[in-house]
Amino acid sequence: MGAPRMTLQTQLVLRALLEDPARLRYGLELCELAGLPSGTIYPILARLEQVGWLESSWEDSAVHEAEGRPRRRFYGVTQDGAEAAREALARTYRSRKQPLPGWVSAHQATGGGAS
Amino acid sequence: MKRQRRFPPSSTARTDLAPTLEGVIAAVRSYHPDSDAGLLERAYAEASIWHAGQRRRSGDPYITHCLAVAAIVAELRMPPPVVCAALLHDVEDTACPPQRIAGQIGQEVADLTAAVRTAVVSAHPQNGEGAMLASDAAAPSWETAVLAIRLADRLHNMRTIAFMDPARRLLKARETLDVFAPAACAVGLESVGRELQDLASAVLQPAVSSYAVTTRILAVLTLLLPSQRRVRWQEEWSADLATLTTRRARTRFTLHVLLGAPRLSMTLRRPASQEQR
Repeated sequence: MGAPRMTLQTQLVLRALLEDPARLRYGLELCELAGLPSGTIYPILARLEQVGWLESSWEDSAVHEAEGRPRRRFYGVTQDGAEAAREALARTYRSRKQPLPGWVSAHQATGGGAS
Repeated sequence: MKRQRRFPPSSTARTDLAPTLEGVIAAVRSYHPDSDAGLLERAYAEASIWHAGQRRRSGDPYITHCLAVAAIVAELRMPPPVVCAALLHDVEDTACPPQRIAGQIGQEVADLTAAVRTAVVSAHPQNGEGAMLASDAAAPSWETAVLAIRLADRLHNMRTIAFMDPARRLLKARETLDVFAPAACAVGLESVGRELQDLASAVLQPAVSSYAVTTRILAVLTLLLPSQRRVRWQEEWSADLATLTTRRARTRFTLHVLLGAPRLSMTLRRPASQEQR
């Protein structure tokens, strides 16, 4: 599986999710937590799910029916995803002095991780 | 202040117009002729002291809310101690010392106000009182008295909901429709139940119609996505959209989804193993 590009927005999403990794969140909730607009969040979530860092599932029917609204799609970090995301976030921290803060190339990422 | 009346007046609505202590006492007296006006006057005096300087979101002095709730409870034929508790139902939020109400007004009224604060309103009350209350409101059970105050509180808040911020307005309306209105009907307070239902529906209805437009836009947007993914994203977006309470927030949400759709489409069409560049 590949790794997502650690853009500033991706980092914000991951930090929001990792704050309470056991808790499932829906897209709009993450917009608020990460402070990002809806159009930015969904592609990031799709990508993170694609690489296996996140898992998503529909809300339990009992819950949304009781509240009388359509069912939400909930996202949660996978165990591997939480580990990989924490490492990736740590790497971006280490390379903070790069001219483009917030993302590292694959070269820097592997180099930084090995040293 | 100009008052807009958008809803048909109900049997209890008239008490909302200009609730005064005299009006409340008169209503109590009409159902309980030998009741002690002094008790109500003392309760009103206490409420005035502790809510002094506080205002409602509408700008009205806070005491108008206490009077309005008491007036509704009085119209339900509740006995004087219950009406006193209605006057004092929010006093615990003020600087009022905990034992003060028990000392000044009486233990029963103090216990009632405390119970009103902790009572959980459920759409299907379990005590099975049913329509008993309507005929027996002049001598209600403890639970019915507590519930009547809670319902009157919610009824006045719903009547003045225009002053609430939009996000809370929708939440309160939903809860009113789902819990408070059924609870009122379940204990035989149909007039309160119906008015709660009308007020809550009026808040929820406009949201539903403008929400339908944005939902349709989102459905069209999914055409940008790979065909086997469209249903999922459309459902996910409409559920998140339904969470938003203002038309403006929904428009912004939809616009951003539109802007992000090409990117999402690209992401979904790319194999998982490929490194993003």
